Amino acid sequence: MSHVETFALPDVGEGLTEAEILGWRVAPGDEVGVNQILVEIETAKAAVELPSPFAGRVTSLLVTPGQTVDVGVPIITIDTDPSPAGVPVPDGVIAEEAGTKIGEMTADGRIATLVGFVSAASAPGRRPRRTDPVKAAPTASATPTAKDPAPVTPTTPVTPTTPVTPPAPAPVAVRRASPLAAPPVRLLARELGVDLHTVTPSGPDGLIRRADVEKAGTPATALEPVRRPTPARSGVDPSRQRRVPIKGVRKATGAAMVTSAFTAPHVTVFHSVDVTEMMALRERLRSRPEFADVKLTPLAFVARAVCLVLRRSEDLNATWDEAAQEIVLNDYVNLGIAAATPRGLVVPHIGDADALDLRGLARALTELADTARAGRTSPAVMTGGTFTLTNIGVFGIDAGTPILNPGEAGILAVGSIKPTPWVVDGELAVRQVCQLSLSFDHRLVDGAQGARFLADVGGLLTDPGLAFAW
Amino acid sequence: MPSQPSAVHTETESTDSASAAAARGAAGTSAFPQPHEVMAGLRATMTAPGILSMLSPEGEFTPSAEFPLDVTPELVKGLYRDMVLVRRFDREGNALQRQGQLGLWAPLLGQEAAQVGAGRAIRPQDMVFPSYREHGVAYCRGIAPVEIASMFRGVDYGSWNPREKRFNKYAIVIGNQVINAVGYAMGQRLDGALGDEDDAEATITFFGDGATSQGDVHEGMVFAAAFNAPVVFYCQNNQWAISESIHRVARMPLYQRAAGYGFPGIRVDGNDVLACLAVTTWAMDECRSGNGPVMIEAFTYRMDAHTTSDDPTRYRMQDETEAWKLLDPIERVKAYLARNGLADAAFFDSVARDADRLAEDFRSKLVNLPNPPVAAMFDHVYATPHPYLAGQQAELEDYLAGFADGADGVGADGADGGRR
Amino acid sequence: MATMTLAKALNTALRDEMAADRKVVVMGEDVGKLGGVFRITDGLYKDFGEDRVIDTPLAESGIVGTALGLAMRGYRPVVEIQFDGFVFPAFDQIISQVAKMGFRSGGAWTIPLVIRIPFGGGIGAVEHHSESPESFFCHIAGLRVVACSSPSDGYHMLRQAIATDDPVVFFEPKRRYWEKGDVETSIHQGDYFSSRVRREGTDCTVVSYGPSVSIALAAADAAAAEGRSLEVIDLRGLSPIDLGPVLESVRRTGHLVVVSEAPRESSITSDIAARVTEEAFYSLAAPVLRVAGLDVPYPPSRLEEDFLPNLDRVLDAVDRSLEYR
Repeated sequence: MSHVETFALPDVGEGLTEAEILGWRVAPGDEVGVNQILVEIETAKAAVELPSPFAGRVTSLLVTPGQTVDVGVPIITIDTDPSPAGVPVPDGVIAEEAGTKIGEMTADGRIATLVGFVSAASAPGRRPRRTDPVKAAPTASATPTAKDPAPVTPTTPVTPTTPVTPPAPAPVAVRRASPLAAPPVRLLARELGVDLHTVTPSGPDGLIRRADVEKAGTPATALEPVRRPTPARSGVDPSRQRRVPIKGVRKATGAAMVTSAFTAPHVTVFHSVDVTEMMALRERLRSRPEFADVKLTPLAFVARAVCLVLRRSEDLNATWDEAAQEIVLNDYVNLGIAAATPRGLVVPHIGDADALDLRGLARALTELADTARAGRTSPAVMTGGTFTLTNIGVFGIDAGTPILNPGEAGILAVGSIKPTPWVVDGELAVRQVCQLSLSFDHRLVDGAQGARFLADVGGLLTDPGLAFAW
Repeated sequence: MPSQPSAVHTETESTDSASAAAARGAAGTSAFPQPHEVMAGLRATMTAPGILSMLSPEGEFTPSAEFPLDVTPELVKGLYRDMVLVRRFDREGNALQRQGQLGLWAPLLGQEAAQVGAGRAIRPQDMVFPSYREHGVAYCRGIAPVEIASMFRGVDYGSWNPREKRFNKYAIVIGNQVINAVGYAMGQRLDGALGDEDDAEATITFFGDGATSQGDVHEGMVFAAAFNAPVVFYCQNNQWAISESIHRVARMPLYQRAAGYGFPGIRVDGNDVLACLAVTTWAMDECRSGNGPVMIEAFTYRMDAHTTSDDPTRYRMQDETEAWKLLDPIERVKAYLARNGLADAAFFDSVARDADRLAEDFRSKLVNLPNPPVAAMFDHVYATPHPYLAGQQAELEDYLAGFADGADGVGADGADGGRR
Repeated sequence: MATMTLAKALNTALRDEMAADRKVVVMGEDVGKLGGVFRITDGLYKDFGEDRVIDTPLAESGIVGTALGLAMRGYRPVVEIQFDGFVFPAFDQIISQVAKMGFRSGGAWTIPLVIRIPFGGGIGAVEHHSESPESFFCHIAGLRVVACSSPSDGYHMLRQAIATDDPVVFFEPKRRYWEKGDVETSIHQGDYFSSRVRREGTDCTVVSYGPSVSIALAAADAAAAEGRSLEVIDLRGLSPIDLGPVLESVRRTGHLVVVSEAPRESSITSDIAARVTEEAFYSLAAPVLRVAGLDVPYPPSRLEEDFLPNLDRVLDAVDRSLEYR
């Protein structure tokens, strides 16, 4: 039989954390009595001797003279019930004695170290809490005044371990002077002009959350006609809204449009054009062998007409350099084409478009559109445009007020081409008619110049033969 | 002079004091007392003008006409037994601290006679206001060692009922209790509890030489004089307030201060249990009969450290302690009993056995003291309900109940001192 | 740079200031031959003598009152109060005279007096040895109150305190006395009483001082393992409090937990909560939560673990705060 007790280094002086072992007074195998001196130690305060708390036979000394030992670390083991047969006492080897290797936890929860054991509790980390900890907000019954609610989720069970306190008074509807909301939510409400009294809270105990204020602050609610509130439709129904983060092209587009709209004073002029002749020319050209592999769209004709007219209307091909306080006149036309792609609006341009003939422009338009739809438009062609075409006609739309690509002086929207009652030589006839909508930067372009440009483009489309004269 | 164990050693050990001294040298870099300081210290502590002594260190008894005492064999044997038992459990307290079972222990070694002599002079109806080293007085009031040590273990503030035992809880802030004792004594007087009857009351308060520097003690003496309070100021002058020697603080013997306040002051040999008993009996009777207050200076010596956290080798020399060992309060009673054939070896052996049994009982009860429940922190802070504190208690108990491992954080580790 | 305990750092600061200015004197109970019960004045008596390292009678009011007189005479006394619970006999002198002498004299006197107080619990001590009385002093105009938390701050803050021409109540976390840290003694410049961010974080601000800073840092470690980032700020100065870094942090995190051993009511934690609410209301996503001592007398040491803030209680408060998100 044996029963081995361990003696850990005590704090002998009010808050001391360690001591140096000066010398042992006993050796393994020695019989010791209670209060017999075992060891002399030196702390920051004094050199003292430690008496044995046990009677028995020393089995091992766990620390050596000269060693500095933390308080709480075992320093000696004593067998308080040594074998009467006098079985040889094992020598003081810690890991052997304890059967515990360094870093392993013993049965009593301590962790073996090189010199002994440390309490497992001292390891950094927290004691585990029950799954959904009962929060320590004092119960209303225990405090003189009811507390504001802690934001405990409504599913949290009432604590089964509520201490014995007088039974809580029946809940009384508290008339609050102010709606319940955290300060940042109050700030948001103030910024959005939302009166918190009108907000429907979604939190427990009437707590107004950020989302509640955001809902209340959306135009949908603001515009909603005053009507009797119904539970289901007291505001915008977020379950039927989808939210997509503003990023990528959409974000860039948004920024560009805002910049453009709020920096360049836009003027838009409209012009309805009889393009019957142009469409006839297109049919004739499409049957010719040199156009066999080209997709000859009406837009190509508009592009060609724009390039021709821009040669005579340099203001519309100019750029406003705000930083330099200069107007930049471009001797080339980089013709931007607004393209709707799955990722959003992009405006790649055809470089030196004015150097291309109709066939070249048609081919370039096709390539540009294919590239854009594939999402492979290179950044280089996204910047540096000088004038932009936007083909709103492909959507069956006739006219609009396009917003300038930032920095450019003009943008031309091309409406749908459709058979239209038209007066020709005093007679009502059905003609192919297209509306052109030109927005220009009024800082660069005067109204007369803009009108002339649009009339010239329209004239070329109405009578393509005029091109000979340009 | 042979090497002796240092004052922090227990009675039973023997040691290699050379290495102990070397270790102390390494431990302390403060200046050590110089020989001239030692001589001054010895002069101050060993010469005690005006001292009343009845039992010499050699065990010779000299009666005092002024302070009569009926010295019976049973009385002396009883006082001997008291002192041996008190010393034994005091030594056990030191050992228990060194074994991690107590956070601190304030030893009384050397002051057994001063405490037992006074303790046996106090009647059950009297009230006692102790400092924090009065284990011997507490023992005389029927308080068990474990009830005292529970405070030093950090379980409570002492387990006895101070109202029933008429022995207040220990006071740790130096001198605080003295002025409270005066107030209590004023109450005894106002209640008409004084007189010549057997149940007449008085109050006694214990403090040390160090406390005589505190304003509270001065104010207490002024009040006691002003209101004729039936209180005995019992100063155990053990010469050292931690490292401060009383001779540095007091130019005149402490007992002479009483004259300044206008009441009697007596210096008694604090290592003479019979003198302490006689003088205290007289002083308490004076107070009971309305002639208080009285000051007693029990001239003794703190043989051990101030507390287990202290290292007296840094400020006083072993020679001084060695000199005082010759004045041991227990040895002189043993010599008296033996010299007069009043006790035999069987008696001394039985007392020694009783002492060991007391120590064993003390140890086993102490190490098995359970940790107190959390509620103990809140109980009795106020006598009447306090809503805020009740809320805080509920909050804490809720919080502690929320741990997944089930332990409420209190007492979970049993009574083995594992929390420290 | 040297590694030393807080006790040694404070000792070194005293030694350096005493060597630099002979008007610096140390006084208190057992500070001389014994070197102080915590050994903070160890060796000073031997090296500077009994006139500059003064073992006083056992009377705190006397110690502080005479130190004030010495300060009026041109000395720079550094007083040691042996334990926090023993300062109260000196309270009258501190409140009535020390704090007000400069003001009452119209600036005729300056009182460069340092009152060192080991404070806080956690050492298994008996009654009156584990108190946290700092807020009493913070309530008194005329006193500067500071608390150090590390060896480095202990060294530099004590030197700054001795150099200050106002009375400084200097709190030392006694349970950290034997903890070691790096101290750079060769460079001493700047304001060591200002709040200091000990660890940067983004989710919740944890403000503390003195012995609780280590706990806040340990909590931040544990929280990091759970994926939460705590910013830990050590106030250092308790009166005045340097609130700037706290406000700056709260404006980023929106969450504030204040940790102190002192009882919760009418405390420094109360003051931080009030002032942050006043000055950063719209940044607070949750109420300021306090992890503090209980509003009961400091309990017997076997109960002190349940009285004192610990890692779990700090993390619990952080959890509760973040639930408001």
